[in-house]
Amino acid sequence: MTSTPHTVRAGALVATASIAVLLVSGCTRAESSGGLGGDGSSPGITDDSISIGISSPLSGPTAGPGSCTVAGLAAYIEAQNADGGFEFGDGNTRQVEFTYLDDVYDPARAVSNFRQLTDQGIFAYVGALGTPTNAAVMPIAEEEEVPQVLLTTGARTFSEDQEAHPWTTGFVPTYATEGRAFGELLVAADRPITVATLAQNDDFGQSYLDGFTEATEGSQVEVVASATYEPTDTTLDSQVTELAASNADVLLSAVSVTPLQVGVLTKAQSLGWLPSIFLPSNTSTPGTILQPGGAEAYPAVFTPSFSKNPNSPAFAEDEDVQAYNAAFEEYGSQIATTYTPHCTWSYAEGAVLAEAFAGMEEPTRESFMTALRSISDFQAPMLLDGITVDTTSDDEAAISTVELVRYDAGTGGFAPVDGF
Amino acid sequence: MATATRPAPAATTTPPRSVVTRAAAAVAGLAVAVVLVVAPLVSSPYINFQLASIMVFAVALLGLNVIMGYTGQVSLGQSAFLGLGAYITAYGVLNDWPIALSLLLSAVVPAAVGMLVALAAARLRGLALAMITLALPIIGVPLARRFDGFTGGSQGQVVSWLRAPESLGLANDQWRYYVVAVIALVAFLLVRNLVRGRIGRSFAIVKENEAVALSMGVSPYRTKVLAFTIASALGGLSGFMYLAVVQYTSPETLVFATSINLVAAMVIGGSASIVGTALGALYYVLVPVLAGQVNSSRTALISGAVLLAVLFVLPAGLVSLPRRLARRRSARRGTRTAPHDTADDAATPTSTDGSAPAVPAPAATTTDQHP
Repeated sequence: MTSTPHTVRAGALVATASIAVLLVSGCTRAESSGGLGGDGSSPGITDDSISIGISSPLSGPTAGPGSCTVAGLAAYIEAQNADGGFEFGDGNTRQVEFTYLDDVYDPARAVSNFRQLTDQGIFAYVGALGTPTNAAVMPIAEEEEVPQVLLTTGARTFSEDQEAHPWTTGFVPTYATEGRAFGELLVAADRPITVATLAQNDDFGQSYLDGFTEATEGSQVEVVASATYEPTDTTLDSQVTELAASNADVLLSAVSVTPLQVGVLTKAQSLGWLPSIFLPSNTSTPGTILQPGGAEAYPAVFTPSFSKNPNSPAFAEDEDVQAYNAAFEEYGSQIATTYTPHCTWSYAEGAVLAEAFAGMEEPTRESFMTALRSISDFQAPMLLDGITVDTTSDDEAAISTVELVRYDAGTGGFAPVDGF
Repeated sequence: MATATRPAPAATTTPPRSVVTRAAAAVAGLAVAVVLVVAPLVSSPYINFQLASIMVFAVALLGLNVIMGYTGQVSLGQSAFLGLGAYITAYGVLNDWPIALSLLLSAVVPAAVGMLVALAAARLRGLALAMITLALPIIGVPLARRFDGFTGGSQGQVVSWLRAPESLGLANDQWRYYVVAVIALVAFLLVRNLVRGRIGRSFAIVKENEAVALSMGVSPYRTKVLAFTIASALGGLSGFMYLAVVQYTSPETLVFATSINLVAAMVIGGSASIVGTALGALYYVLVPVLAGQVNSSRTALISGAVLLAVLFVLPAGLVSLPRRLARRRSARRGTRTAPHDTADDAATPTSTDGSAPAVPAPAATTTDQHP
């Protein structure tokens, strides 16, 4: 069979397109990153600049939190750049060049973005959101010896064995830490308490329950009913109905999907079941979950927290919050249009990065990792009082404690907790 | 089968241009081949990753084109087969199977699954097949999360494999590129021959009119099952390639959104066209990257705008661009010979064989009657 003129031209089109791709890239083998630069410094750093990159979901279902992980970090970095730059341990002051890309929560695209960023010569990959996306990037970061640090994911994989993964660190508390905090609060009450649990049927839900079980083992706290769900479920009504039959004192609702969490809150009260509620930190935003879910009906709604809510009147006078709001308004608000706590987390992450820069004695990635792993007792802006950053433990994320807060329907914010 | 008695395809009816055409084809083919062979040697690991990704999705799109483009059935489940192939390969690597066995099973198991689905679904007409294939990724994602002994749960599985043999002096990214390129080349050649032969003609007639197909002794049911099985096998094969390039698989690999994006890429490249498949893969991989260069916060918006623009300007896909340009040029010169250009553009993307004109007009009225 011969080709028609049409397919020939199309073939030529493919050829032209492939050549164009190569030309657009303009990169040659010799320029590839990795290894030391000419003067002993790592790629991506000069005497007056350093470049860092991030790939997070900026479109698709996870775009809200993903955009915030970029926006908060951008706000901190650009504000500091405008203020003169970052002080480094080697005596230089550098401007940070910040590049961000969209991966739509797709691991293949995250790998592609990571390769693109290292190809452009970033010094470090900072703060990316997402468990599967970061898991896909981790082995490449290790192989190329590029720091993949302060990740916004609560999965244990990125923090539990830092000797095996020397180039990777997590930033936010693991899910197990959150579950443990709930367990400890109940144990401290020192009386028999019945608990119903609802968890996502995967390792997110499982590590939440693991943390909770570890803390409550051998105590008077008893789990009397438990149910699981799939993230693709459209309603959890049947699970809630089943749990409501137990009439437990407490509902631990480790649901990570926003509309489902709202559904749980409305369904339980419509059944006349009013337990105390425990919610994970990523699904407890008042505006999008607690108010639509009618959380004020419950005797108490607890959630782990470690950052200040910049919209809460309780912190309106706080200097950190004012600085954050000013910086975010100027540099972050185009990137993330709706607030999730990830915005403040990544802002705090910028401060941790600055702290690591300050401890960096040589312009190398090794020196950066050493400095980053020796931060302890650091009070980052926007973190609640009492929450400090400690990167010296080799099986925990940079923030390994959480504080439980209680929803205050009157102010629409959160108040500290004394006990259950 | 009755198709054996059909007249020879039309390509032989243009003798004056065939020598020039062949030469041009050879030059174009050679240029592509040289670029594809030399590119990884001079490019950065990032470019090699992108080129290899294009090949991965080209094979997935090729499968989709067999069922959708050539046979005219809607499939929204290609990502499930891609994910299945990737998981089988991951399981094979982690359990020290020979790579050839992983490769074989990554195509055979999805093919078997695809055939089982099609045996049930192909009895239904129209959108029913689409609805059933739609369910595959939707069921696949929770299954992948739940069977974490096999799949690694929602954290997925990192699989470090396919390192370059020391003796070749190639870097890992170059070696993986060549492995993927060889698989893609073989897949493309096989499908090219398939769609130009007897089976390809039966695909085309089933797509055009099932009643006519039946009257010619071609069973639409068996043809659809065959097409779907081939599509699934190619999907699984692209999963093997995916794992070779990305070195990681998770439930996110088989999400429904990937299927939809693949369908869009296939239509954009050019349905029922081998070259269009390659162009679709270029589109699938490169447009998000380019959109990210423009504005990372607006990638979805930019990709959507590009999609609409291509479909408005080139309803038959990127593959019709040269024809389109040539027609415009000749129209300007005043030697316009084709009075029906727009209708021709949209209706007959299957220009590689002469099957389309064989459909008699009255048959269309009997399409909905079950014989």
